[in-house]
Amino acid sequence: MRREIPLVITFVVGMIVLLARIFTAADGGEFILAKWAGELTDWVIIVSAFAVGLASVNLFRIHGDIVARKRPGWINSLTLLAAIVVFAVIGIAARFGAGPFFSELNQNLYDSIISPLGAAMFAILAFYIASAAYRAFRMRNLEASVMLFAAILVMLGRAPVGELIWNQFPSIANWLVDIPNTVGQRAIMIGAAIGGFATSLRILLGIERGHLGGVE
Amino acid sequence: MTIMAGRVTFLFTVLIMGAIVLIGVNMSQAGKWTPKIRRLAGLDAVEEAVGRATEMGAPVHFSPGIGNISDDSAPQTFAGLEVLAYVTELTAKYNTEIIVTIRQPNVFPLAQEIVRQSYLAAGRPDMFQEDTVQFLSSEQFAYAAGVMGIMNRRRIAANLMMGAFWAESLLFAEAGAQVGAIQVAGTAAMAQLPFFVAACDYTLIGEELYAAGAYLSQDKVKLGSIGSQDIVKGITMVIILVGSLLATADITIIKDLLSK
Repeated sequence: MRREIPLVITFVVGMIVLLARIFTAADGGEFILAKWAGELTDWVIIVSAFAVGLASVNLFRIHGDIVARKRPGWINSLTLLAAIVVFAVIGIAARFGAGPFFSELNQNLYDSIISPLGAAMFAILAFYIASAAYRAFRMRNLEASVMLFAAILVMLGRAPVGELIWNQFPSIANWLVDIPNTVGQRAIMIGAAIGGFATSLRILLGIERGHLGGVE
Repeated sequence: MTIMAGRVTFLFTVLIMGAIVLIGVNMSQAGKWTPKIRRLAGLDAVEEAVGRATEMGAPVHFSPGIGNISDDSAPQTFAGLEVLAYVTELTAKYNTEIIVTIRQPNVFPLAQEIVRQSYLAAGRPDMFQEDTVQFLSSEQFAYAAGVMGIMNRRRIAANLMMGAFWAESLLFAEAGAQVGAIQVAGTAAMAQLPFFVAACDYTLIGEELYAAGAYLSQDKVKLGSIGSQDIVKGITMVIILVGSLLATADITIIKDLLSK
């Protein structure tokens, strides 16, 4: 039963959501399956809220243990726990109308802490792209060499200096991006779309059950 | 009840594909057809990666991506979780620590149960610890920072990333490369594939990720469905080819049919 119940729920819920995207009421009125699908979407939010609770407990147990045992880096764990509590308290106070002070503070916490930290992480990508490109473009074999030459041509075609060197570089770059690159991307996309579709179908029909845990 | 405008083709696609998959699965189960999956170097390398981690006495890191189980990235997340079950059993066999990091709260209980059950199946329930599966943050870059911190602090020897990834893909792959970890990635996220190919030792591209569960388990039912998937792909290729030729000749019958 431990396996059958989730499989039945998956099938029933999956079919309702799928059919609600295909069929509609003949008279143009409210379609019952669409209504149920909407309800189920609300249920997902409720289940997700419980999942956030479970995940938060995991965070508190792991970092609480690190702080309690004063393991290396315990001060970071303490900062994390304090941040969770502060953000949660201010967020709840702002949500439940404790006044404009809390709403402003909540917004400021996001604008002044979360956003800059996220932007800083994203900015690291610029350096990582350079180091990854260096490794990828080493001429280790034929494929890497082809990639290197293609990349050089595209860079010359896209950089203003390329056109000054030879006015055909932009045309070559555009051809490389529009033709071979698009062909490859579409082939992968079609394969992945069919694969994703088949995987969804396997999950819906209960063929794929690895996510339920245990050996099949 | 009537079919929505523009969904007729979708309905028939679902029905035909469903029928092909079910027929394929039944034939495979009955032993009448056993599809073979070509060698996937990325999946063969998973055991090598875990073996290397064992030799080095360092942990294996696994990420099932940052996609959820209730949106269009769900198939990738489920495919990643299939691989997680296999990897956990391998780590139990080799007595090597695995650290599973999670971004989506919805994925967390699934991953925890998969790891717990896989350890149990391998006869090593004692290996499951509270911090084996860690929820880090639902914020994309906070999760990325957490993963990079774990990679550096724990000096992981193997980094396995299977699922849906976005901009954090290269952050993970480069952080893994910097600590000298052997890296295997798999995703169907088109924009992230070049980063994984550039920075990882092995990459499962697109549909290879979806075939991972069948490839690793060699389960007849799953192999049957993967084989059926290839038949659907063949039919799609024929439709594309014929449609392109007809459209070139200004005959739009297939295009019109698909837009119904």
